[in-house]
Amino acid sequence: MSDTMPEPRHDARPSHRSTASGVAPTGATAAPVGPVPAGRVEHARTDDARAGDHAAIDRLVSELLPAWIARLAASGRGAIEVREDSWTVRLRRPAGGATGPADGRRSTDRPSRQQPGHEGHGHGPTALERHRSARSAAAGTHSSNGSGAPAAMAVGPRPVAAGGPADRRGRTDPHRAVATSPAVGVFHARGDVRRGARVRSGDPIGAIDMLGIPQEVVAPADGVVADILVEPGETVEYGQDLVAIELMTQTGAAGGTA
Amino acid sequence: MFEKILVANRGEIALRILRACRTLGIEAVVAYSEADRESLPVQLADEAICIGPADARRSYLSAPAVISAAVVTGCEAIHPGYGFLSEDDAFAEVVRAHDLTFIGPPAAVLERFASKEGTRRLLAAHGLPTIPGSGMLRDDLHALEEAERIGYPVLIKPSAGGGGKGMRMVRSPRELESAIRVCRSEAKAAFGDDSLYLERWLEDNRHVEVQVAVDRYGRGVHLGERDCSVQRRHQKILEEAPTPALSETAREDLAQRAIRAVVAAGYENVGTLEFLVDASGDAYFIEINCRIQVEHPVTEVLTGIDLVATQIRIAAGEPLGFSQADVTLRGHAIEFRINAEDPDHEFRPSAGVVERYLVPGGPGVRMDSHLYAGYEVPPFYDSLLGKLIVWGPDREAAIARARCALDELLVDGVVTNIPIHQALLASEPFLAGRMTTSLLDRVGSAAFLAAAARA
Repeated sequence: MSDTMPEPRHDARPSHRSTASGVAPTGATAAPVGPVPAGRVEHARTDDARAGDHAAIDRLVSELLPAWIARLAASGRGAIEVREDSWTVRLRRPAGGATGPADGRRSTDRPSRQQPGHEGHGHGPTALERHRSARSAAAGTHSSNGSGAPAAMAVGPRPVAAGGPADRRGRTDPHRAVATSPAVGVFHARGDVRRGARVRSGDPIGAIDMLGIPQEVVAPADGVVADILVEPGETVEYGQDLVAIELMTQTGAAGGTA
Repeated sequence: MFEKILVANRGEIALRILRACRTLGIEAVVAYSEADRESLPVQLADEAICIGPADARRSYLSAPAVISAAVVTGCEAIHPGYGFLSEDDAFAEVVRAHDLTFIGPPAAVLERFASKEGTRRLLAAHGLPTIPGSGMLRDDLHALEEAERIGYPVLIKPSAGGGGKGMRMVRSPRELESAIRVCRSEAKAAFGDDSLYLERWLEDNRHVEVQVAVDRYGRGVHLGERDCSVQRRHQKILEEAPTPALSETAREDLAQRAIRAVVAAGYENVGTLEFLVDASGDAYFIEINCRIQVEHPVTEVLTGIDLVATQIRIAAGEPLGFSQADVTLRGHAIEFRINAEDPDHEFRPSAGVVERYLVPGGPGVRMDSHLYAGYEVPPFYDSLLGKLIVWGPDREAAIARARCALDELLVDGVVTNIPIHQALLASEPFLAGRMTTSLLDRVGSAAFLAAAARA
């Protein structure tokens, strides 16, 4: 074997098992690193068992992940471990607080290719980094509108106030949880959901119109609405931050500040 | 022509479509799942929009998510790439109902060619020879009866989809009974449709396919054939053209018959007709792929025609713009699928961070890949990392260039199948142009690797 084929530094199995890190909603203050089926033997598993695992992961993610994220946020710790049936889910706070380099690169704040910085991109990470920052620099001036889209579905930059540093703080703030979009479509907040409104975990707080079918947005935790991060009628992508909730803590401090 | 297109796929093909859009002056929006946020097509796209979680059923396979993304970003058309929703006639119909264009055959054409079994009958009626096979299987008993009639060994095939999923060769009724259950569940999981049919298994066959392009006005050309006989468990790993299996006259004859049949049957857009060629050189039509294929670059480097751009132009209603006489096939091309698979451990899929990535160069070398140093290969999707395509004035020259290119190609951090390609280029059956679809499995990849290590 030549030196072009070094030994793997990442064993395939642990990598496989870390799949859930990609399953985390982007607005999460934490990423789960691997629902690990306790005591299972990987190589002897049948297709049915795999399908079962996928179903279980789906269920864990859709039903329980928001609550765990809220719990991690409230705990103020770097990571927590949750046991559910035969599964162990480890959630950890992203390093450095931000959710990663992808943060803020959304369809809705992307410059079009007419923007400076598009030409002359090379290959390799350095070129990509340059590319990326040129794009974000241009994002503030961008205001393209989807040509076929009705005016209400304006595709433009997210308001700086909501998408900027305040948003970042919200993501890392242990006293906040963020409701993220369950679908790609057009956001509508519920009329009675305003800043300062009290919500309970699971309360419907808005909907995403996906091809005319509303997809419910629910509060991820008990608390008070701190910020509505997108305008009604705005286009949102899957996982986009929608509503920031100031968590109710045991001391009740959060409720008092709203 | 379209002004803005949604790319509803991932990996190297998303990048390929993005590049075709750029050359046509079309704006491209890349739809991606959360697992692909850091991927190259997302980073290079004019716009990108997250459509769902890593699970493909809720992102790349979700028709509402894909169409909603196209609507809210103001796209006029959706390019589905290959796999995922690319051959789903119901999806194409819903796309049309939202006043968007599906880049591929229109829904009605897809529907006509949706059933492999129905397509075989249709194209047989237009003069293509087919392998003896069954109709759609009703149940296990029906399968056993049909297998008895056709004669073992038989191949179980799903009516929907492709790529070897849900496919098994069985040599006895007992094998049939156990395999049919596995095939059903695989087909159901991969294509949402578990209908199966049987086909006589041709021992020692070669897989040769003809690329066609037909515009809306019934004007069509063939773009030669490709030989995809190097397979592992029904998965193509290397493709080349022209096929070493047939003479120039036989190749031309096959391609002519293929284009005549599909034009007569009302096909539209780019497509591929797959044939099995037996030891005596007889070709049997097996199926049509109504999409761009992974191995399309082989034809692109031989003809100089951009197939993805052609596909987009045809979908936009443009005439083909060239005739059969304008198509010339030059030299020899080989494509190597670079997969994140460990050849030393039964091709187990691998995932991880690409630590270093060096692309080969030189005359006649093309690399279609979404890799970059620092990219994390997600474990959710197929293992294709990219395609190395090498061209030479003849087969020998192409092989010599391919050896250099494979030696130069460096993917560090993820285990790849590069060694199996190097082994193939050192193996006598491949060099002599005698590969058949079952050879690699029969001899065993390990034996190929061991032989190469000795060489």
